[in-house]
Amino acid sequence: MEDWKFDPAHDLGLPLKERFKSLRRESGLIGTILHVLWWSFIRGYLRIYHRLTVVGRENLPKEAPFILVANHASHLDVLALAAPCPTRLRDRLFPIAAGDTFFENVPVAAFAALALNALPLWRKNCDPRDLEELRKRLVEEPCAYVLFPEGTRTRTGEMAIFKRGIGSLVASTLVPVVPCYLNGAFEAFPSHHKFPRPRKLTLTVGAPLRFPTVANDKDGWTEIAGKIEAEVRRLGGVPPRT
Amino acid sequence: MIRERLIGASHAFDHPVTVWITAGIGAALVVALLIIASLSATGVVKDPFRKELWKRTLAWAVMAPLLIGPVLLGAAWTIAGVAVLSLACYSEFARATGLFREKLVSAVVVLGILCVGFAAFDHWYGFFVALFPLTVIVIAAVAILPDNPKGYLQRVALGVLAFMLFGSSLAHVSYMANDWNYRPIVLMLLLGVQLNDVFAFISGKLLGRRKIVPHTSPNKTVAGHLGALVLTTPLVATIAHFIFRGTDLDRPHWLILLGVLVSVSGQMGDLMLSSIKRDLGIKDMGVMIPGHGGVLDRVNSILLAAPAVFHYVGFFVGFGLDQPTRILTGP
Repeated sequence: MEDWKFDPAHDLGLPLKERFKSLRRESGLIGTILHVLWWSFIRGYLRIYHRLTVVGRENLPKEAPFILVANHASHLDVLALAAPCPTRLRDRLFPIAAGDTFFENVPVAAFAALALNALPLWRKNCDPRDLEELRKRLVEEPCAYVLFPEGTRTRTGEMAIFKRGIGSLVASTLVPVVPCYLNGAFEAFPSHHKFPRPRKLTLTVGAPLRFPTVANDKDGWTEIAGKIEAEVRRLGGVPPRT
Repeated sequence: MIRERLIGASHAFDHPVTVWITAGIGAALVVALLIIASLSATGVVKDPFRKELWKRTLAWAVMAPLLIGPVLLGAAWTIAGVAVLSLACYSEFARATGLFREKLVSAVVVLGILCVGFAAFDHWYGFFVALFPLTVIVIAAVAILPDNPKGYLQRVALGVLAFMLFGSSLAHVSYMANDWNYRPIVLMLLLGVQLNDVFAFISGKLLGRRKIVPHTSPNKTVAGHLGALVLTTPLVATIAHFIFRGTDLDRPHWLILLGVLVSVSGQMGDLMLSSIKRDLGIKDMGVMIPGHGGVLDRVNSILLAAPAVFHYVGFFVGFGLDQPTRILTGP
């Protein structure tokens, strides 16, 4: 008889606090239940409070791996992008969140891990191995990410340049990147407001982009980031960067 | 009567054996801390053994009240405590084996654990024993649903073993709480298996030379196991004599056999977990308890001992035969 193949949890042996922050975190039964509850609640909230409309819903992939990217204007963005995704992907859909905002203190990290299912990326001193880890997990598991290549919320309403980190996740792979444009988030919940206002949100989902032939190096990553940014701008009717 | 048994903390020390064991454990912990302190101070034991000794003993000082407290407080607390322990054990097992990725099987095992706790609480022996085959049936059925026959046997087998060990088996401790006099019996079992481990650890360190199962657990020695057997058996037999005085069990040979049963099943439980960890290629099941690893690393020895002792004592004396049954579901 052949031996069975066991695959222990990839975050095995970490104390709870470290597990929240781990890029290899996997959810158990409690996590799954909380993710489903949280995201069902958010779906209802977005529909009622922000009358969220999704244009191009057919472009949302039904299976992992994929990455959703969009312009970043508010904390509502991640909710509006992840909520329309299928419920059965809940455990494998990871919003990529700023480590310094969402994973520094334990209660917030617990919320980010248990409700949002977010994974941290540290904006200052970002370890390149973290991006490698994310790239590996994307294909191996496979899983899906929601991320904002601008790296931070716009303070003015203007879209910023896309950082090339996104390119390092997908260069030379068949993983689709789905460009989206979220309209209305800056008006609803700009960074200087404490609470969101009931403004209408419209999410436009574009056709998936793939980069199998782009080299997995700095030039390739920059090229990918540029292409994705141009597509997001086009979807939002934002003039191209000059 | 039912209320008194379930939450009557004022009865905690009705039985003299309960007083002895509780006082004994308290005293033993204080003495152990003093001995280790003096050994460290005089430099008789050296690092890393000294550090390990400290860590383990301090963990005991926290764990002992957590284990004994619910037993003293009442049957309801005992049953709830066992259920929490079962879930913690299952969580560690599922994460270590990868079974946690099978959400349906996991959900059924958790449901089974909750049901078996309920059956014990309700004092409904029929449901208590029925839950094993019933849970197995449901696990076998839900494991079909993902329509992925590759790995079917593995996920069903892991689910069944998990429910057997952490649901059915551990819940025998809960069911004991249906006896009016459950406190000394449960404490005897807890004390027996845990001291058994301590005896094995100490006699192994002092006398151990020949490995018993080097491929499974390189640190376990024949001397450790014999030492534990020799020390645990009379201890359990003596305590049992005072608990079961005047019953059919209160005969020297039956009492000694009970002691042997506790020691051997305790040690087998320990080696069983070693085998599981070896098979999985991991060192500890978790990180909950400093110096001990996970919850499962600590309660492993009770997993096999609980049903063994339950049915052995049940054969001679029975549990809660004079207590009302099906207190919630009954007519």
